[in-house]
Amino acid sequence: MTGIAKRAGTRGGAASERILHGLYLLTFAAVLALVMLPISALIYGSFRTSAPGEPVGEWTLRNYENLASQGVLNSMWTTLWIGLVSAAFCIILGTALALVVHRTDFRWPRLMTTLIGLAFYFPSFIVAMAWIIMGSPGGVVNAVLGDLLGLEWPRVDIYSAFGIVFVSVLHQVPFVYLTVRGPIIHMDASYEEAARAAGATPMTVMRRVTLPLLGYSLASSFILVFVLSIEQFAVPALIGIPGRVTMLATQLYLLVRFSPVDYGLAAAIGLALSAITGAAIWAQRRITRAGRLTTVTGKAGRVAPIPLGRWRWAANLFCFGFISLALLLPMVILIYTSLLRWFTANPFAGMYTWRNYVFMWESDSTWQSLWNTLIVSGVGAVMGVTLGLMCSYFTLRLRPKGHGWLDLLVVLPFGVPGIVLGLGLLWAYAFLPLPLYGTIAVIIVAFVTRFLPYATETVGGQMVQIDRSLEEAAWVGGANRLRAAQRIILPLIAPSVQGAYFLLFMAFFREISAAILLYSANTKVISISIWAFFEQANWGQASALSVATTFVIFAILLVIGWLVSAGRRF
Amino acid sequence: MGISVTDLSKHYGPVAAIGGVSFEIADGEFVSLLGPSGCGKTTTLRCIAGLEHATGGRISIGGRLVSAPAEGLLVPAHERQIGMVFQSYAVWPHMSVRQNVAFPLSVRGVSAADCASQVAEALRVVGLEHLADRHPSQLSGGQQQRVALARAIIGSPAVLLFDEPLSNLDAKLREGMRGEIHRLQRRLGIAAVYVTHDREEALSMSDRVIVMEQGRIVQVGTPRDLYRRPRSRFVADFVGKVGLIALHRQGDGWASTDGTAILVAPGEPCGPTALGAVRPENIRLLRGGEVAAAPEVNLLSGIVTEAQYLGPFTEYVVDAAGASLRAFAQMDLPVGAPVTLGIAAEHLVLVPDA
Ligand SMILES: Nc1ncnc2c1ncn2[C@@H]1O[C@H](COP(=O)(O)OP(=O)(O)O)[C@@H](O)[C@H]1O
Ligand SMILES: [Mg+2]
Repeated sequence: MTGIAKRAGTRGGAASERILHGLYLLTFAAVLALVMLPISALIYGSFRTSAPGEPVGEWTLRNYENLASQGVLNSMWTTLWIGLVSAAFCIILGTALALVVHRTDFRWPRLMTTLIGLAFYFPSFIVAMAWIIMGSPGGVVNAVLGDLLGLEWPRVDIYSAFGIVFVSVLHQVPFVYLTVRGPIIHMDASYEEAARAAGATPMTVMRRVTLPLLGYSLASSFILVFVLSIEQFAVPALIGIPGRVTMLATQLYLLVRFSPVDYGLAAAIGLALSAITGAAIWAQRRITRAGRLTTVTGKAGRVAPIPLGRWRWAANLFCFGFISLALLLPMVILIYTSLLRWFTANPFAGMYTWRNYVFMWESDSTWQSLWNTLIVSGVGAVMGVTLGLMCSYFTLRLRPKGHGWLDLLVVLPFGVPGIVLGLGLLWAYAFLPLPLYGTIAVIIVAFVTRFLPYATETVGGQMVQIDRSLEEAAWVGGANRLRAAQRIILPLIAPSVQGAYFLLFMAFFREISAAILLYSANTKVISISIWAFFEQANWGQASALSVATTFVIFAILLVIGWLVSAGRRF
Repeated sequence: MGISVTDLSKHYGPVAAIGGVSFEIADGEFVSLLGPSGCGKTTTLRCIAGLEHATGGRISIGGRLVSAPAEGLLVPAHERQIGMVFQSYAVWPHMSVRQNVAFPLSVRGVSAADCASQVAEALRVVGLEHLADRHPSQLSGGQQQRVALARAIIGSPAVLLFDEPLSNLDAKLREGMRGEIHRLQRRLGIAAVYVTHDREEALSMSDRVIVMEQGRIVQVGTPRDLYRRPRSRFVADFVGKVGLIALHRQGDGWASTDGTAILVAPGEPCGPTALGAVRPENIRLLRGGEVAAAPEVNLLSGIVTEAQYLGPFTEYVVDAAGASLRAFAQMDLPVGAPVTLGIAAEHLVLVPDA
């Protein structure tokens, strides 16, 4: 029996345990530092009278008292109602889009899915800029209404709470569409077929069976959109600051960047905002957990599509109308603005020029910011995904002592808005003896922290689906834990690792809120450069750079889509 | 050699999944763990494999102590030299059949040439040579099960462990695989532990069967022994259909509740009351008046209350001697017909009634 001797030759069991233990400690320490440093710095800051790093300050409760001041209460109220109204519109429009595209005989479901996907990746600050160009008092829409049509009335003003809601909805409907699309497609067809067999018309089935079954998904999606709406920074800043509509995120920014500067109050506001988003995220996770027990079975069935009949024109108008407002019109306006020497709402009176693009091409600082963006996105996403992968493996598979804490730490950034995280890091790095402030590293740290939960959710989502016995079979077959992780787990979750990398790369490429308080002249990323041009009222430059950035984003999407479909062929 | 388990226990928090289980399995012996769902079979098997950490007791495999939590000894699964077949097959979807089967050798650094010949042999044994380069997604359930089997036997492990390996297969395939697994184990001549809740599987394949209930062993024996001489109502019931007659002592012998004297097989003395257990195939069914008295045979008159025609025979339920008894017969009787049941004393086994 030579076989026994051969099977006995297992080595490295203890070494594997040691390596895994070391990796666990490293992961734990990294996540602890990333998440708890900014949060505890923020808490510290909220009890101080002075700015970060100033030696003079003292302890105080004043910042919390000021939370109850009229100004802050007003912004809190504005934040909440804008969040709720946006979320309500997003849910209605996003669900309607998904139902029309996937449950009726709508003619172009694939085209629509692609276009909505593009709209999802279209950065919110670019949409906001485009709609400011269109909807500001001297903008395109008013020019068309007044000069072209000669109307005295109506006039639009994007610089208003309505404007914030409008642009937020345009930007976030694709998110709702993408989150409810899965449940709609994968819903067990037999529920609906049973209702049809019981004599219900297609519309009744939709109303009485389909929508109630989607309840959990819709509730979860509603909360997430609410959180996205109240934590966003770019849209309320671009539209709300000129329009004097202040949300909590913008108030925090104003308190840090403009006098009278009050870092302590900003920290308290950041914590208050985090408390709201944190509570909402907690509720959302409860709902998803409860909802997982019901409805969606994973047995995708083909329900007969609802015929649109004579309402086809309405469905087409709805779908393509939305895409026009969210994607096409903004793109056209930005291209148009980028080609003008001086902005004018009348395309026949415009002086056209390439100079914005020439200037962009020749500007060192633009190239620098592109380079910075690529480093932040490329390298930062590698770090984020690696950390996310480790966390998922430890919390879902190995589950060593303390993994419950790791699991909790890793979801905390979900509840911390980007700008709040930025402020926390500002406080933290003013005290740490690390030469990080003003470097690209601090931006990477901010982005990785902010999007770490996205990485763990993506990778972990696939990891929990790998049956335990697949890994156990490898152990029994003679592989130690490290080896089994490497040869069984890693290959099986490879698609989700790629997916997470892509998700983080794109998120980092577009992120503005976590960087706005942390950038310096040398560490600008593209989004910040566009922002800066727009703030200087240099619409031409901002538009040119936006157009270029959008094309880069869409080109990356194209390449990835091509790679994925090529990969699927094997 | 083989496997030796002494006083094994496993607690999940305050809950004892297994509480003090001991048994020995010799080399070449095929032993089943049989019991209802949740009785601790899987947990016992996983403790042997090292996938679950026992909280007490000792386990040796091939004479080597692999688990003794009291002494702080726990050999990890990958060092225990076992072959295991999982209920879900656990065939790795990202590897070809050949790579799946080669895995236990390749992680142990066996040379490529050696590996190839052993894999070819293992695949030949399970009849999958022609599918070596397929991926699991292109295989049927039965074929995946064979891959799992080949992977378990490659490189001659010290013991083979099976956790309900056939429960996901359809009935026809299951019977074929039973014979195959049994032959394979005989060829390898190593100890095998087979977990199942299917009594037919346990009875048809095993040298010995260990019946478990609520984390404890209730009876160990050969399949024939268990079926014919159950020592408790639970075992009698679990390993096959059984009729139970409530009995009490009457003089030197026993009597049923209606006072009829009943002859029973010689066995361990019970308390003042007991149950007489009889298998349906051991009951002779006679039409109403026919009485063919014979020594050592109990004759009980009763009434047919249910009849199920099953093809080869009809299964009758007869109320007699204060009990509902099942009996098989080829004759046709209507419900309500008076009958006489003939039960040889040797087939009526006493079990405690509590
Ligand atoms: N991870 C666990 N945590 C808590 N209880 C468990 C766990 N695994 C098994 N049990 C309990 O241990 C008992 C035995 O389980 P198991 O060995 O799987 O039973 P069987 O394989 O005989 O059906 C059951 O009551 C089960 O609920
Ligand atoms: Mg089991």
